[in-house]
Amino acid sequence: MNQRVSRFLLSTMSSAVLAACSLPALAVTLNISLDADPGKLDPTQSSMLNERIVYQSLFDKLLDLDGEGKIVPMLAERWTVSDDQKTYTLYLRKGVKFQDGTPFDAKAVEFNLLRGQEKTSLRRNELKYVSRITVVDDHTIRLELSTPFAPFLSILTDRAGMMSSPAAVKKYGEDYINHPVGTGPFIYEGRLKGATLTLKKNPDYWRAGLPKVDEVVYKIMPDVNVAFNNLRSGQVDISNRFPYKEITNVPANAGYTVLNKPSLGFRGIYLNTTKPPFDKKEVREAVDILIDRNAIAKVVYNNAVAPGHSPFSKAQFANGPSDAPPKVDVARAKALLKAAGKEGGFSFRLPLPTTADELQAGQMIQGMLRPAGITVTLEKTEIASQVEAGKAGTFEALFLGWSGRPDPDQNIFDFVHSGGSMNYSHIAAREVDDLLQQARVEGDQAKRKALYDQAMTILVKEVPYLYLVHDNVLFGIAKSVKGFQYVPDGVIRTATVSK
Amino acid sequence: MPKLPKLVKRLLLSLPTLLLVSMVVFSLLAVLPGDPVAAILGMEATPEAAAALRLKLGLDDPLLVQYGRWLWAVLHGDLGRSFIDNTPVAEALWQRLPVTIELAIGSFLVAVIIAVPAGILSAARPRGWANAIGTLIALFGMSVPHFWLGMLFIILFAVKLGWLPASGFVPLSVDWHANLIAMTMPMVVAGLRESAILMRMVRSSLLEVLNEDYIRTAFSKGLRDWQVVLGHALRNAMIPVVTASGLMVSGMLGGLVITESIFGIPGMGKMIVDAIFQRDYVTVQAGVLAATVMVVIVNLCVDLLYSVIDPRIAR
Repeated sequence: MNQRVSRFLLSTMSSAVLAACSLPALAVTLNISLDADPGKLDPTQSSMLNERIVYQSLFDKLLDLDGEGKIVPMLAERWTVSDDQKTYTLYLRKGVKFQDGTPFDAKAVEFNLLRGQEKTSLRRNELKYVSRITVVDDHTIRLELSTPFAPFLSILTDRAGMMSSPAAVKKYGEDYINHPVGTGPFIYEGRLKGATLTLKKNPDYWRAGLPKVDEVVYKIMPDVNVAFNNLRSGQVDISNRFPYKEITNVPANAGYTVLNKPSLGFRGIYLNTTKPPFDKKEVREAVDILIDRNAIAKVVYNNAVAPGHSPFSKAQFANGPSDAPPKVDVARAKALLKAAGKEGGFSFRLPLPTTADELQAGQMIQGMLRPAGITVTLEKTEIASQVEAGKAGTFEALFLGWSGRPDPDQNIFDFVHSGGSMNYSHIAAREVDDLLQQARVEGDQAKRKALYDQAMTILVKEVPYLYLVHDNVLFGIAKSVKGFQYVPDGVIRTATVSK
Repeated sequence: MPKLPKLVKRLLLSLPTLLLVSMVVFSLLAVLPGDPVAAILGMEATPEAAAALRLKLGLDDPLLVQYGRWLWAVLHGDLGRSFIDNTPVAEALWQRLPVTIELAIGSFLVAVIIAVPAGILSAARPRGWANAIGTLIALFGMSVPHFWLGMLFIILFAVKLGWLPASGFVPLSVDWHANLIAMTMPMVVAGLRESAILMRMVRSSLLEVLNEDYIRTAFSKGLRDWQVVLGHALRNAMIPVVTASGLMVSGMLGGLVITESIFGIPGMGKMIVDAIFQRDYVTVQAGVLAATVMVVIVNLCVDLLYSVIDPRIAR
């Protein structure tokens, strides 16, 4: 070969190799669709599930849940609980830093727990039993409770256990809500309200080799079909909702899979026990045994929910025999109505969420109650009005569910205890109160379950709330996504995900 | 063209409109069921947190005091801070307004590009095939649900063909190329729908003009069809079309809520609707105010255009 030609070839090849080497590696972005805009980026101010999903990437928690819903270490490496169940000692992980460089230590934990207890914090109720916080040393903290409180560790796996940088909180003050700084795998980058929220990889994350992607972008897609089509077209990698009707239609060559597992929540209807017509127990029971949960689960939710009759789904240890839906019995319902002096039936208004699924469920309930002469007027209402009506007690029935929490106490106590903060039914059953209180202070899981079973046996007859179905965690996940781990709290964990 | 003082007078006249709109919106929000505190704090709010927020937002004050406070701040150039996340509403407006304006202009251009030739063609040949096809398309455009059309476009162009992204809005100022790619589908979907109405407008207006005596004269002079239609008739047929266009653009500036929702575009419409659901009164007020200002400006432009098209109006 001519020397000049070979030299030319060599130089071309070497420059090509050099060019290839100097090409910056393409940043890997994980796109996650959320069905509502996570409004507030401060765990002490948060009131919605989608916010918890975003926080998961920004903030680590003292403890976490694993795929079975068991409590596992996170920022606390280990912990001990005193025999009287009132003193918790947490041993914190060393060498962890907040994203702004502030070291994570026992003082930071103290700061966060005190902040969670402030008057304006929505975590106040969860942390109200923490009566004394002692910083033992830099990496040990002792928390004393005023009373034994079994759900306490579970609470630390969620927003109350999320750690914010004290320096950032002090620096931004009221505006911290827009400048979240945690120890999590991703750092807040910015947002286009109502459209996207972008996080960048935390290069100094304490879990070696994580996170796996460079960027996480949450895309707000209120309509489930829009999210689905974005998943199909590749603009979305994980969707936190999936259309029920499409679950059974996934083609073999589809670029996505459906994750369909039990969650911790429930959907159902509050019955106001202080106002007619539901002030009579017989009337509540009649309505309860007229509703065919299996039919609703099949027709509305394409069986991607579990028909239920208690607040405890299969993902929870307290799930017991009471969760089996009652058999529909029109004759008995009529007899119950007769006993309550409502032989000819009655009518009531049912405010329900504005989504198509709930409307369809409402319409089915309408039809199911008709044979006993009960007329239901459906009223589409948004969440603000629902919560307001619930708190004010100005309703007859209210279709309002709960996304669920890891500890059974968090799904029952405040809803049916006479002093519960979400006891919109105003049920006051002394025996239930006692049992729930006992379950709250009992440390042994088997004994707690027995107590919840007993409480449910009473509640099934009292019917303050019509438990209908337990939602499933239903995610659409692109096949290119690797390392996704399901956790029953329905929160997407991004650190281990790659694509 | 009207003289400058006339323009200023027009602008000043719009101030009472703005005031009235803000008052109506404020009263409407007040009678809306659903407490803002319940909307913001949700089910887990403690009474203390609710009371603290109520105090902070001044919701316990009489309505008139609340309105007065808001108006006073606005007059001092402060649109307030969002109830939800404490960000200045002006910031959100600056983010959203250009998006909506871009979407509205783009959709309008699409509508004009389709409607004007189609309208002219079907008016010039009222018994021809062009008219039949045009009428059919217009009927389809007007009757088809917006949401369905958008979804169909996504399935066809994003899922099946993969030509355009189904979402992924990028602000124009950040990356104009990515922005245009993301905005193409929404603009076409919104524009298609609007084009139906506009096309019918062009057609009927032109048909009316084509029956005038001076058109017959033009034809009898031996002018060709296109010379008559484009040179003589079209200009005179434009006044109602411009009126309709003004209304159309005004409507779009209020927000193409459905288009914005389907394509994930952070426009004004979606902002206002979201804010209503969240009972973020301050954001709703600011959004509606901005939309009203836009409508006033568009109306002004329409008036100016009238005199350009028909100089007799300016006199």
